[in-house]
Amino acid sequence: MSTFIKDYIEKETINRRNFLLASAAGLGSMAMPMAFGKGAAFAAENPALAWSYRDRASAYWNSVVSGGEAFVESIGKTKEDMVSLINEGSSEKSLADIKAFLAKNSGNCAIACDANDSPNARPVVEAVKEAGGYISTIWNKTDDLHPWDIGDNYVSHMSWSDEKPAEDTARILFAAMGGKGGVVHLGGIPANNPAVKRLNGLKNALKDFPEIELLDAQPADWDTTKAAELMASFITRYGDKITGVHCANDNIAYGVIEALKAEGITGMPIVAYDGNMEAVQMVMDGDLLATVFTNPHWGGGVSLALAYHAAIGTFKPSEEPNEHREFYGPTILVTKDDAADFKAKYLDNVPTYDWTDFWGPSNGGIVYK
Amino acid sequence: MTGRFSREAVIRWAPLLVLIALVILFTAINPQFFSLRNFARITISSAPALMVAVGVTFIILMGSIDLSMEGVISLTAVLFCMAFVRFGGNLAAGGWLAMPLILALGAGIGFVNGLIHVRLRIPSFMASLAMGFVGTGAAVLLTGGDIVKVDDDVFRGLLTYRVLGFPLMVYVAVVFLGLGWFLQTRTTLGRNFYAVGGGEDLAHASGLNVRRVRIAGFTLAGVFYAVAAILQVAKLGQAESVTGANFMFISITSVVVGGVALWGGVGGVWNALVGVLIVNTINNGMVVIGLPDYVQDGMLGLLVIVAVVLSTDRRAAIVVK
Repeated sequence: MSTFIKDYIEKETINRRNFLLASAAGLGSMAMPMAFGKGAAFAAENPALAWSYRDRASAYWNSVVSGGEAFVESIGKTKEDMVSLINEGSSEKSLADIKAFLAKNSGNCAIACDANDSPNARPVVEAVKEAGGYISTIWNKTDDLHPWDIGDNYVSHMSWSDEKPAEDTARILFAAMGGKGGVVHLGGIPANNPAVKRLNGLKNALKDFPEIELLDAQPADWDTTKAAELMASFITRYGDKITGVHCANDNIAYGVIEALKAEGITGMPIVAYDGNMEAVQMVMDGDLLATVFTNPHWGGGVSLALAYHAAIGTFKPSEEPNEHREFYGPTILVTKDDAADFKAKYLDNVPTYDWTDFWGPSNGGIVYK
Repeated sequence: MTGRFSREAVIRWAPLLVLIALVILFTAINPQFFSLRNFARITISSAPALMVAVGVTFIILMGSIDLSMEGVISLTAVLFCMAFVRFGGNLAAGGWLAMPLILALGAGIGFVNGLIHVRLRIPSFMASLAMGFVGTGAAVLLTGGDIVKVDDDVFRGLLTYRVLGFPLMVYVAVVFLGLGWFLQTRTTLGRNFYAVGGGEDLAHASGLNVRRVRIAGFTLAGVFYAVAAILQVAKLGQAESVTGANFMFISITSVVVGGVALWGGVGGVWNALVGVLIVNTINNGMVVIGLPDYVQDGMLGLLVIVAVVLSTDRRAAIVVK
């Protein structure tokens, strides 16, 4: 631990020094193209590659990383050529690591990144721009930050529209409930964007089912243990009134199923989200009605591919339409009918993607409300 | 003298009174709270936390602190699942072998934890926290972020098989609580914990090998964390690298709410039991009475402060740090 802190302080100190150097270099590189003519993009050779993300303790991020590695191998490099910048849920660390990486490689970088929280996206992309690197982000950014306002260095942003898929799972749930009864929602961390969207999706579907009552919706923090305890409390409060459960992700559904098991309740209609291996198996076994797969492997690969190809000059981001700079990732609904096919296609064998087909599987440009 | 005695008596019984008051309060607002089924639900969520709280009670009695529980539970839970599957995947076929193995592992980790703290003279706070990180890291390494499942119905009987309305895992927790009580009151080691916590210099001057007592305390705590890990797997049927998450907060809060003084020497496993029940009753009750989720965290904090104010004899503490 003490070495961890010591290392961290050392890194921060070096980082601050390098940041000054990098800023100077960044200014230099910005001035350079101007000398050679207006706005001529710098085609970098062999940029250093990095993925910046939260942690390795979840199936989701591991899948993102596996996509990044698959892309790196597709361009004839080894997995080790992609550096993992793990922010451990800290925006400060996210920014500090990226600045250090830029400084180490004199800005010749292609980075894919989830900035950990929305406000952190701006300082991250500005640091990358200043150093002359290229970055693609996923999930977190504020609505007023757009790649086209920053320039070619901010290549793209990908997010997932969770509202519609969550609405679809809610409709499947309500149909299984026979169009009437009581439903409880166990959500993610309250302020998390996807948590809000997934609850909204449920509420949208409720409008078409007047005989279904939303009994309660409370956060379970994406956590299996918390979900089991919350579900147990729901059972005390609502008892038999609960005839369906809408979960914000798969981990929550696992806890719900165990809480019901403890009560000897079987056959409760439950829907989830994320399309993890275990959840898909549960859909096949009939323990879950549906889950939603967001293909994190593809998201992880294509984000890094976009940054890389922009860096080496394969395409010029500013010449692309806005829906190629900000777009939704794919969402696939998994139900009992297609779970076996889905598992064989996406989970048992990871498909080989064409990493230059940047927008093929995507779901259209991001729409702000 | 009687005035002082009654004051002590009140402080001694305050945590239990707080628990009873909470039960009455929640029942008054929603009578459904007061049912055997709901008490079973509260005890299911309490059982693993109780094991952690009993373990850390011994450490806190000595005036030290152990923050390794999250990492130790994650690691032992993951290894328990892996060993269980490796030994045949069901209890009868050999899965039971995983239990003594994991208890021994828990003891081993606790022993190393104590050794680092005592031999390298690193404060227990830092040594155990670091050990916890090592545990979490090892769990991530082993699982690669995936979930390890245990599907054996016999083992899961700990959750699903009920006697007098309560699942078996609750009785297992009670047995280990009894063991903790026995160690605390009927063994030299238990009395030594109080001696170290009450006045380490004095204990040392009296010829007590304080270092050995500390290492024994951490080893014992490690065993209880491993029991918690097994019960947690029984409860959820799975383990992953975040299985131990939140146990640090809930166990230490419970122990303090239950009336164990952080400066050592005061309290015991009964306080840990009452504390765990208080925290889990609050968590369950807030949902049952329909408190909006955005006030729940604040309310939990508030009730914890009230419980601590009522249940610790702060007059005895010269310095509060």
